[in-house]
Amino acid sequence: MAGELIGSILSLIVLVGLGTAGVLTVLIWKKNRVARVTFLRFVIQAVGLAALFFLFSLEPSIPLLYVLITWFTVTLFLGRFFCGWICPFAFIMDIESLIRKTLKIRHRLLPDKLNIALHKGRYLILAVFLLLPLALWLLNPPPNTASAVMMAQLLAGPFRPYSIIIDPLIPFVVPWTGQLVLGSVNLSYPYIGNILTFVEATPGQIFAVVFVAVTLIGAFFVRRVWCRFCPAGASIAALNKFKAFKGVPLLYIEKDEEKCPKCGVCKRVCPVQVNDVYEQKGGKIGTSQCMLCARCVEMCPYEDTLKIKFGNKPVFKSRNWLESSIVNEERKIE
Amino acid sequence: MNKNETVERRYLPEISRKEIDELKNTVKVSSQKIIADNIERMKKADPHRPDAMKYFDDIANLFGRRQQEIQAEKEKGKKVIGYLCLFAPTELISAADAIPIRVNSGWYDTSKLGDRVVPVEVCPVIRSTIGAKMIELSPFLEQSDALISVLTCDGMTKLSEILSDQKTIWGMNVPRIKDSTQSLRFWSDEIRHMKTQIETFTGNKITRNSLKEAITVSHRATKVFRRLQELRKGNPVIMGRDAMLVNQAYTWDDKKRWTEKTEALCDELEKRVQQKDWVCNSDTPRVMLTGTPMFWPDSWKLPTLVEEGNPQGIIVADEQCSGERILSDPIGVDEWSMDDMLNAISERYLMASTCPCFTSKDGNEDRINWLLNKVKEWNVQGVIYYVIRGCMLYAMEYSRVKKALDKINVPVYYLDTEYTREDVGQLKTRVEAFMELLNARVDF
Repeated sequence: MAGELIGSILSLIVLVGLGTAGVLTVLIWKKNRVARVTFLRFVIQAVGLAALFFLFSLEPSIPLLYVLITWFTVTLFLGRFFCGWICPFAFIMDIESLIRKTLKIRHRLLPDKLNIALHKGRYLILAVFLLLPLALWLLNPPPNTASAVMMAQLLAGPFRPYSIIIDPLIPFVVPWTGQLVLGSVNLSYPYIGNILTFVEATPGQIFAVVFVAVTLIGAFFVRRVWCRFCPAGASIAALNKFKAFKGVPLLYIEKDEEKCPKCGVCKRVCPVQVNDVYEQKGGKIGTSQCMLCARCVEMCPYEDTLKIKFGNKPVFKSRNWLESSIVNEERKIE
Repeated sequence: MNKNETVERRYLPEISRKEIDELKNTVKVSSQKIIADNIERMKKADPHRPDAMKYFDDIANLFGRRQQEIQAEKEKGKKVIGYLCLFAPTELISAADAIPIRVNSGWYDTSKLGDRVVPVEVCPVIRSTIGAKMIELSPFLEQSDALISVLTCDGMTKLSEILSDQKTIWGMNVPRIKDSTQSLRFWSDEIRHMKTQIETFTGNKITRNSLKEAITVSHRATKVFRRLQELRKGNPVIMGRDAMLVNQAYTWDDKKRWTEKTEALCDELEKRVQQKDWVCNSDTPRVMLTGTPMFWPDSWKLPTLVEEGNPQGIIVADEQCSGERILSDPIGVDEWSMDDMLNAISERYLMASTCPCFTSKDGNEDRINWLLNKVKEWNVQGVIYYVIRGCMLYAMEYSRVKKALDKINVPVYYLDTEYTREDVGQLKTRVEAFMELLNARVDF
């Protein structure tokens, strides 16, 4: 009892600490935008991780339906903001990139065609994810006799939309939910974990291990490799595809055509190789590939050329990153 | 280069040593006079010129301090690598512990000598550079151990061939369509090839750290350059000619020292902004120059006319590869790995450039956008489109620029001239007429 109490107090302290760090970073960043967005993102991701951790470990748990409704509403307005700034799996990939950078290893690019194919193929991947449980169930029928119930659960499982979105995050948020343990290391990839609840066959387990290994090792060399075909992204992308929602996104990137000499920096620094920011002539950049991570806005060397806007209000503008902005503001002439 | 002297001259005529020396001395004396005269006029135009300009006046003497410094460095074993076009990756040169230096010639007199090799229809910058080589006038051209020539316009392409009679020349092939992936791939291969070439030539390996250092140095330079440009946005605190000289001095000066001195200049100018100490009336027409590069010292002809004319104008911005284009784009390095730095360098030199030698799906739209943006940001009231006869690319792009500027109701004046001092009187009338027009518009 005492141990549990101390544990929860400690984790509460961690949460409060992280939250304060987040608020402080935002404040510092607002004052002096020389602080790089990349570090701001790390803090937000850490805070996000903690928040999700508590969300999932709450007792009694929040009905997932509410999470789902909130999720879809937020997505409508913010696009893939979640992917760029909060997603814990992306956090892990960003940390991997950080390690790679410190080791001075170059990153690889996927060929453009493959990248676009993956982007489009995410629906296929999504479909496979949906059909896999069924296939595995058919191959290895569970020993349980109440198979009709099992079948119903199985078929319903993948179609619970929240599980598509949230399940990939579970192992990083609540690691002990996994079923896949190698030695004492929990390797479970959650969605596969769900499958393995029904199927305890070796092929499924091998598939799970390979899958996790490929995404994690791949992310070491290719930045944010998983984001390029993440099914969570697919659901958001699908939402953004509807014409009716086109005007809805409140958070978007805008480009000023006249100020842009097309130096190509935005294209090169993008962690998911989005070309649209470079190629589009100006105005609102609309693509479901973009995660609004603001890396391009941060690195654009021409002042005010790229902006992230919330509604009509720019929240973050590209600036002359060679120069400290404090000095810059003092020197307004006339 | 002893080796090259025995090579048969395919282009350059044989001139006797005596003739070379005679011509060289005459031109050198007259050129020194012009440099002194230009500086004198700049001083006169701004009675209390910033003190920091003294350094630039000193460095502006092409036959003076900087020449001796480079000579001293050369004796210590450093290599000097010249370049004829801004596309040459100077960071790679600095990273290999060599001195990058721009060798284009701005001497009017030598262009007459160039006529012996190429016809008069050829761009005078090219003719003048050839002439300077013939009489060994340009100290920087003579001092450079190798030249990087980027084959941008026709003139540059053949100039490198002509100079290869006497110099080691490395050509770089620049793709004409800049916004396609295959162009970029090609160009970044050229950059990587140039890297190995520089490494073998200098014997110094370009390491990750040395390249990072070189890029940081040019970042600092860009930073201070932008600071200077920012100062020119408001009421005029510096004469356009002074700022142009500062910009251009970067191509032959030591980069770190240039940055320090320009910082000092900006500090001084900022004080003047606070004291509201302007160099001329705030309603003086604000002029922007664009077009063919203007090389120090002789091409100061036009800026002098603009800023000393009656009515007077003030140059607040330019879009020339002898001016702002030298430093306006920083190298946007993402990850500081060797590979990424090289990619960043190749993108900065190819894609950020607004040279008219490029075209793309929308023509050279980047240049138009860049011009429009400059006109708006710097409150430009009139644009002088400067073309020297023979500069085809700039001349041919004029119509489009004019249409674009007409749309935002900014007058543009097409001013064609030659590498000659004979048309100064005529130019004066033309420039003053344009200034008169701008003044009338201000009055409205």
